Amino acid sequence: MNSNTPLLEVNKINSVFPSGDKIVRAVNDVSFTLNEGEILGIVGESGCGKSTMLLSLLRLIRYPGKVESGEIRFRGDDLLQMSNSQMRAMRGKEIAMIFQDPLSTLNPAFTVGEQIRESLRLHNIVGNSNAPWPFDRVQREQEKQRVLQIMEEVGIPSPMDRYASYPHQFSGGMQQRTLIAIALACNPKLLLADEPTTALDVTIQAQIMNLMKQINQERGTAIILVTHDLGLAAEFCDRIAVMYAGRIVEQGTVDEIVETPRHPYTQGLLNCRPRIGERQQTIRPIDGNVPSLANLPNSCAFASRCSFVKDVCNEGPIPLFETEHGHLNRCLLTSDYKRLPEWDWDSIVEQERAQ
Amino acid sequence: MRGIKILERVLGTIPIMFGVAIIVFFFIRLTPGDPVDIMMGQGGSISAGELENLREEFHLNEPLHIQLWYFLRDAAQGDLGYSYVLKQPVTALIGERLPATIELALGALIFSLLVAFPIGVISAVRQNSWLDRLSMSTAFLGISMPGFWLGIILILLFSVQLHWLPVQGRIKLGTGLEQHTGYFVLDSILTGNMEALKSSLLHLVLPSVTLGAPVAAVIARVLRSSMLETLRSDYVTLARSKGVAEWWVVIKHALRNAMIPTVTVVGLQVGILLGGNMVIETVFGWPGLGRMVVKAIFDRDFPLIQGAVMIYAFTFVMANLIVDVMYTYLNPRIRLG
Repeated sequence: MNSNTPLLEVNKINSVFPSGDKIVRAVNDVSFTLNEGEILGIVGESGCGKSTMLLSLLRLIRYPGKVESGEIRFRGDDLLQMSNSQMRAMRGKEIAMIFQDPLSTLNPAFTVGEQIRESLRLHNIVGNSNAPWPFDRVQREQEKQRVLQIMEEVGIPSPMDRYASYPHQFSGGMQQRTLIAIALACNPKLLLADEPTTALDVTIQAQIMNLMKQINQERGTAIILVTHDLGLAAEFCDRIAVMYAGRIVEQGTVDEIVETPRHPYTQGLLNCRPRIGERQQTIRPIDGNVPSLANLPNSCAFASRCSFVKDVCNEGPIPLFETEHGHLNRCLLTSDYKRLPEWDWDSIVEQERAQ
Repeated sequence: MRGIKILERVLGTIPIMFGVAIIVFFFIRLTPGDPVDIMMGQGGSISAGELENLREEFHLNEPLHIQLWYFLRDAAQGDLGYSYVLKQPVTALIGERLPATIELALGALIFSLLVAFPIGVISAVRQNSWLDRLSMSTAFLGISMPGFWLGIILILLFSVQLHWLPVQGRIKLGTGLEQHTGYFVLDSILTGNMEALKSSLLHLVLPSVTLGAPVAAVIARVLRSSMLETLRSDYVTLARSKGVAEWWVVIKHALRNAMIPTVTVVGLQVGILLGGNMVIETVFGWPGLGRMVVKAIFDRDFPLIQGAVMIYAFTFVMANLIVDVMYTYLNPRIRLG
């Protein structure tokens, strides 16, 4: 592995769910790269495929859904080519995930300490005796000490007393800290966070985001944050990718996305956000609904809701244009028309002129 | 803490049993037919005076509330009265028959759990596979098949045609089994009588399968549907994202939680295993409580019916108490109330 290899390189993955005689295309040709220690935000409305995208990275989409094509290179190795046992060794150890609803994500039947310890045991983080239960007392005790340490790190007060508590005895914030502790147990290189604060109060939300920021800075853990909250992503991330109907429609640094949004959808998202301190502001929702993922147009999926729509938008697939260095945008009208190699731009320009 | 709660619940069964006793007492006496008439048959060779003596002996000439008082007073002291017909203490009669019934019920329960758990789990994990469809339609068949019919078919196949298993009874003659507890399997083990053990186990197979088949079907279906639910839950996804192997995800994370509704159903089915086995006992000539009770009902043998129903009720209440205790282990959110 050379030092220039990005931590994660996702190349044109497609995730599909066969449903009856239709195929729901939840993730379409999604590509991005993530460097070590970087934080990438994936922003989009509910149902745009962002959670499915995250689960695809771990190969955990529920059957009969599957990643149909593409490459997911983690430090150069394609996760999609790995055997199941190789993949299991990655899960939790190299790539860990934090989920949206902490109460339903923690197993109600086991103590929180036990659930954190399970991660340690699975990947033999502490000791390696592999003695079967109940002859593993020494290893269990060592693991427990490590669990207490992790609980302390993620800010669970008096871990000793909390080790044997059950999830339902925790507040929402503590539950989410437990999930983070589970994810951090094996010190993964990449943390996938699926709306980690959606189910929490605003104040708790800030605490959790600070904790994640701290983890990122202290451990150099790269994070992919999936959220519907552009404001949260703007504050927390280095780069943002905006997803719409299973595709990335715009991608750039936080400043580019927030200050100079190119895609009409990103602009719409920004207009939907109330700003504190401004009275009588108009919040403009985006009219219409997300198109069905089972019946996506080949052309621009946002065209039906776009106020700048032209005929040409409905005529063929729109590629991601690189507008400035690294700023990608999937829109004909707001791009600088700096074309990507595989795109036959000439014919589009001809069609546009012909109108 | 848990121990005290369990004790409280056990004591709580006393008023339940009291209620059951009163209800049974009145309902039997609502059925038409006079026990003394039935006992004496239609012969007409008995004088009116003798009938009167019998009525007096059984307190049947007293007003109902006095009869109830006698019954409750004796029952509280563990005396369930004398059988009108068999002229023996009811407790002795039940004590003699109950082990056979319990042995059969346990056999059926073990059979149904052994069959239902693998089927329920595998059907859920491989939902809509041919295995799932096959086992679910077999389960449907298991529920809808009448016990006597299944029993006869099994006897024809395994006893009459193949000669693998005995036709009826609890044990073959001449094993020389010494009875201590009345549970033949237990007695054979205690006395180290291997021949008796083999024979009593073989005798248990067909009745257990027949009695357990519909129960297994119910448990398998319930387990399958609750497994389908837990397999879709977020905590199962979390377990997978930690790198837990798939079979361990199923057993540890999904099955443990799917057990809660399943255990409820098992508890309710215990009632069927104990109380619903009159037909099976008849088909297999099994000397259990069920056949005795059916006969007692036809004889209007009030004390015997009352005693048996109280035993059924007690076992049922206890089975459900065990279920409630198991809940608290399976799901820490549930506490004994």
